[in-house]
Amino acid sequence: MNFLLQNISLPLADFTLEIDARLQCQVTGLFGPSGAGKTSLLDLIAGLRQPASARIVLNDRVLTDIGAGVVMAPRLREIGYVPQDLALFPHLSVRKNLLYGHKKSRETEPLFGLEHVTEVLQIQPLLGRGVRDLSGGEQQRVALARALLTSPRLLLLDEPLASLDASLKAKIIPYLCRVRDEFHLPILYVTHDEQEVVALCDEVLQMERGRITERRRINDRQT
Amino acid sequence: MTAAEWQIVWFTAWVSALSTLVILPPGLAVAWLLARHEWPGKSLVETVVTLPLVMPPVATGLILLKVFGRHGMGGFLHNRLHLDVVFTWRAVLVALGVMSFPLLVRSARVALEQVNPRFEQIARTLGAGDLRVFFSITIPLALRGIIGGVILAFARALGEFGATIMVAGNIQGRTSTLSLSIYQSWFNGEDTVAYRLLGASVVLAFAAVWTSEWFMRRSRK
Amino acid sequence: MNITKWLKTALALLVVSGGVAANAATITVFAAASLTDSLGEIGRDYQKHTGNKVEFNFAASSLLARQIEEGAPADIFFSADEAWMNTLEQKGLVDKKTRRRRLSNSLVIVVGTDSPLSIQSPSDLASEKIGHIALADPQSVPAGIYAKEYLRKVHLWEKIEPKVVPMGNVRAALAAVESGDAEAGIVYKTDAAISKKTRVAWAVPREEGPKISYPMAGLKEAHDPEAARAFLKYLDSDEAGRVFAKFGFIVDNHTR
Repeated sequence: MNFLLQNISLPLADFTLEIDARLQCQVTGLFGPSGAGKTSLLDLIAGLRQPASARIVLNDRVLTDIGAGVVMAPRLREIGYVPQDLALFPHLSVRKNLLYGHKKSRETEPLFGLEHVTEVLQIQPLLGRGVRDLSGGEQQRVALARALLTSPRLLLLDEPLASLDASLKAKIIPYLCRVRDEFHLPILYVTHDEQEVVALCDEVLQMERGRITERRRINDRQT
Repeated sequence: MTAAEWQIVWFTAWVSALSTLVILPPGLAVAWLLARHEWPGKSLVETVVTLPLVMPPVATGLILLKVFGRHGMGGFLHNRLHLDVVFTWRAVLVALGVMSFPLLVRSARVALEQVNPRFEQIARTLGAGDLRVFFSITIPLALRGIIGGVILAFARALGEFGATIMVAGNIQGRTSTLSLSIYQSWFNGEDTVAYRLLGASVVLAFAAVWTSEWFMRRSRK
Repeated sequence: MNITKWLKTALALLVVSGGVAANAATITVFAAASLTDSLGEIGRDYQKHTGNKVEFNFAASSLLARQIEEGAPADIFFSADEAWMNTLEQKGLVDKKTRRRRLSNSLVIVVGTDSPLSIQSPSDLASEKIGHIALADPQSVPAGIYAKEYLRKVHLWEKIEPKVVPMGNVRAALAAVESGDAEAGIVYKTDAAISKKTRVAWAVPREEGPKISYPMAGLKEAHDPEAARAFLKYLDSDEAGRVFAKFGFIVDNHTR
């Protein structure tokens, strides 16, 4: 995995997001207080926000290069994004939500097929339900599954466990580990919980006021 | 009710429905442009779109007459396209459409503005292009408000008078709508006819509002 | 996609209807309001004889001329005075070869059938007992213009003008008297004849009255000039003449 975040500059309300980093681990954590610019960085990577300058290259695929005038549309980036508020489509059933971005033709292997993903996250019984009928933890897993079903090359998770209580967090973390281990996807994981960092990440970047202040290796796992 | 009166009722309902249908795509497009983006000339467009709502309807009608009549496009339309607009049912369609357009746009715009852009963004990351996002996410989430706008536009079309009489006249059997007929029959001293037509317009309006309420109730589930 | 379907349906309807307008010789006649009953009957007769349909738009000649001038699709114009026909001819909208004049009319003063008023001469219109006098708008509608012309001639216009209620067309003036909103009105003899709720209080003698003339002509932009000419010919026929006379019109058997 070779993820280049070069020369990123995005003016925000109180400060400018300035990032220049190269990520090579599978799961990279983004750790920091709220308002540090973590979500903005994810938006940027997903192509939902335009920076003043940036060069973003994921495994030799140029997603953004402001200097060269290249800005790939979000729908072409093949990046799975699970935002903090999940953004599950309220007017669609769970099944329709899951399949929204799913293209059988794009499925690289049965790995990202409906059967496998729903099995890993154990959401098969929820398929016919409406999104509003789900519990917090169930919604979380559905949002995660929806992103996975697009056969993404990168997963962006924005504080996936923030709104869950301790016992629920403990229940979901194993699912995240399964995703990490079963799908072998690079993951960018935003959190302000130490526990999650230790359980899931290989490396963590500390962010404060739009800059990376520290980089720490956590696990010695293979990528 | 005589056959002629039934024709008036049917014609009014039909042309109002058709005009609402015709303005729906451009109305949604304009509402969308006004709701989401900032662009040069936006306030000008906003103002122009609102004009038929605020101007005296006969004034709007006069403008339409000059645009589509012999002094405007009428010659071209008649000679090249074999299409007659003024003082035909097409003029009624145009008048109703123009007068109800601002109502549709205003309601739809508010409804679209209330759709959380986050849903649209996530839909994009899931691989949807702009058109798909618009039809599969934006419109369904704004549907209640849009339907409200459609009903409003339809009701406005049903009751249109000023612009219609200018650009379409009140030609029996051809452009005579309920409002025009009620006025004309009263004017001609045909009181009972006027009352019957009045009754018909009440029933029509009642049906329109009832249907919209029913629809709102259903979509609330 | 639902919206695309709607769009296509609406567009198709609009385009298809372009051809719906003129099918199987339907003739559109714009005619003065006072001709409503007579022309209506003649049109029905014509359809029985020839199978061709005649559609009428009855209104004040002034309004009709305006509409034609603005582009209203019509085949024949049947006006209640020469002035409005001249206006259209000057604008190049009239097929001059087809213009002819056959009908004339006369004016009467009407009051409600229950009215106690008795009118011995037009100057009685100035009486206090009459509060409102209904006329077709004397500014533009032929019936009103004729009435004003006559009242001017007998030096009554200035006295009576404050009481005049201008109406959109001569039938509306008649209706105003029928409903009692106006105590008296000046309309054509032919209108009074079909009204059950008014009576003629005084008839303007033909020699004193204004020259009333009903020109008719085919229009240059007619969809079907052949059919228009055929109907004009019929309007000139003895058969049509009988119907006009039945309703009280003065029928001239010369043309032009």
